[in-house]
Amino acid sequence: MTANYDVTAAMEIVNASAPGAACVDDGILFLEPERLVESVQSLRDSEESDLVFLSNLTAVDQELHFEVVYHLQSLDLNHILQIKARVTDREDPAVPSLTGLYQGAHLQEREVYDLFGIRFEGHPDLRRMFLWDGFPGYPLRKDFLQMPGQVRAGLPGFPHESEENAWPVPGSVPQRPMHPNDPQPEGDLVVAEESEESS
Amino acid sequence: MTTADDARLGIQEDSHLAMQGTIEALTTGDGSEPVVVNLGPQHPSTHGVFRLKVTLDGEIVQDAEMRIGYLHRSMEKLAEERTYTQNIPFTDRIDYLAAMSNNLAYCLAAEELLGIKVPPRAQAIRVMFAELQRVASHAMANGTFINDCGAWHTPLFYMFRDRERVLDMFEMTCGARLTTNYMRIGGVAFDLPDELLPTLESFLADMPDRIADYEALLMENEILHARARGVGVISPEMAINSSLSGPVLRATGVPWDLRKANPYCGYENYEFDVPVGEQGDCFDRFLVRMAEVKQSLKILRQVIDNLPDGPWLADVPLHARPEPGEAYARVESPRGELGFYLVSDGGPAPYRFHCRPPSLINLTALKEMSIGGTLADAIVTLGSIDIVVGEIDR
Repeated sequence: MTANYDVTAAMEIVNASAPGAACVDDGILFLEPERLVESVQSLRDSEESDLVFLSNLTAVDQELHFEVVYHLQSLDLNHILQIKARVTDREDPAVPSLTGLYQGAHLQEREVYDLFGIRFEGHPDLRRMFLWDGFPGYPLRKDFLQMPGQVRAGLPGFPHESEENAWPVPGSVPQRPMHPNDPQPEGDLVVAEESEESS
Repeated sequence: MTTADDARLGIQEDSHLAMQGTIEALTTGDGSEPVVVNLGPQHPSTHGVFRLKVTLDGEIVQDAEMRIGYLHRSMEKLAEERTYTQNIPFTDRIDYLAAMSNNLAYCLAAEELLGIKVPPRAQAIRVMFAELQRVASHAMANGTFINDCGAWHTPLFYMFRDRERVLDMFEMTCGARLTTNYMRIGGVAFDLPDELLPTLESFLADMPDRIADYEALLMENEILHARARGVGVISPEMAINSSLSGPVLRATGVPWDLRKANPYCGYENYEFDVPVGEQGDCFDRFLVRMAEVKQSLKILRQVIDNLPDGPWLADVPLHARPEPGEAYARVESPRGELGFYLVSDGGPAPYRFHCRPPSLINLTALKEMSIGGTLADAIVTLGSIDIVVGEIDR
């Protein structure tokens, strides 16, 4: 089984080469964005951690800040470590690029830039990847496609849980216009008899 | 063509000269200008709507740049507005050639968030369908790869014959052949139908002969050797640094398989080997996939022999709200390390839904592999990586 690498040990490795760059909060290792490259390099090159494989790189919009999430894996020692870097500037978010350490970060950083608008400083080819140049906004941000009156985009609750979303809302189902062949609510027999008489 | 014709067609005299100059430069290779050629997006050898922009010096690739996004459906955004169960059909459409593996990876991540234990019969059924999917996907990968090498369609349709039998088994189990939507959070949607196990038995009985046929047809095939050996080589160090996974990584000799390294669904109970290559070239990737099919059949045999009874779906509330937290679950899909990273804020839908796509990340090394080779080799290299554009673009 792949073990989770001990975050305290990882923090010690980082702080030995970049003092104060790492801290542990609620069991998660946070790295300071300014010193990300040297911190991750010490984790990659240290023999105890040996995190040579960048398994995953993505970001999460936490509304007040962005979190860039890295999953680093050691193939020989078979453990994985999750690292996060907080980016507080929402206007022009930027973190250093890890492409100098891991080639595998190349396309994943471009994807995050494309969908979150987080710049990776030092990336050799930072362009939009799925969307075209000039696409308005960054779709995976929580304020993209935010409906009026909504706190953020997303599913606020299960439909049955709120009265607003309860289905069917009385009066919300549009009534189709009546047709002569529709069953009449009352007096339909009278109409039928009249039509038989007329024919 | 006379000058009068040129004037009528609106062709200027000097454009003729320019064109002639380009042709001369190309043929002599002296003082030449590189030519940019677009491969795709509509091209049979790009395996989907995928564009490769190659800069050529004569026939030699100087630069290869990929342009993707033609199939971008914004699944990660859409998933944030749908409940955990409603997101399972999206995972089918991420990698439509390995829907079962994608269902599985997503359900594992959601189960990790919800803290659900999966019954043993469901685990065995999941292993069975994940391995059947690997057989089907590798049949497609190897068939189209040989197609790219120049063996037009004959091996491809031999291999489609086997894939068709797997898809028939999917159809009799869950009603769908491609986008299966079979796995559920906590197990699988339906129990196995009565006719599945006899069909699977006959499939397992036939496959060794079929594989022997393919090996006799292809392993010593001179054209395949000439086209694939020593083409698209990558070193193990570079492969690890580029985050490659799956057969592309194992062809370089790195025995990294998540079924062994991080067993899920009880893979630790089955005996199988991890085939690795030596050279890291296109031919080794083909060999690794052929050998993996044999190992999958070996696992399938063990699954049938030890299929436990009992429920196939755990008791999971329909309207599940996980505790705030996050989960990252990975499986060894036919294309490599497929991961789902889910973040929950305690709501009914994932706060963040991210797929780690092996097809996209395996393309990181495409430039490295194709520069210096010919254009025809670049197509073979692209075929050997085995991309699915639905997974690249999502």
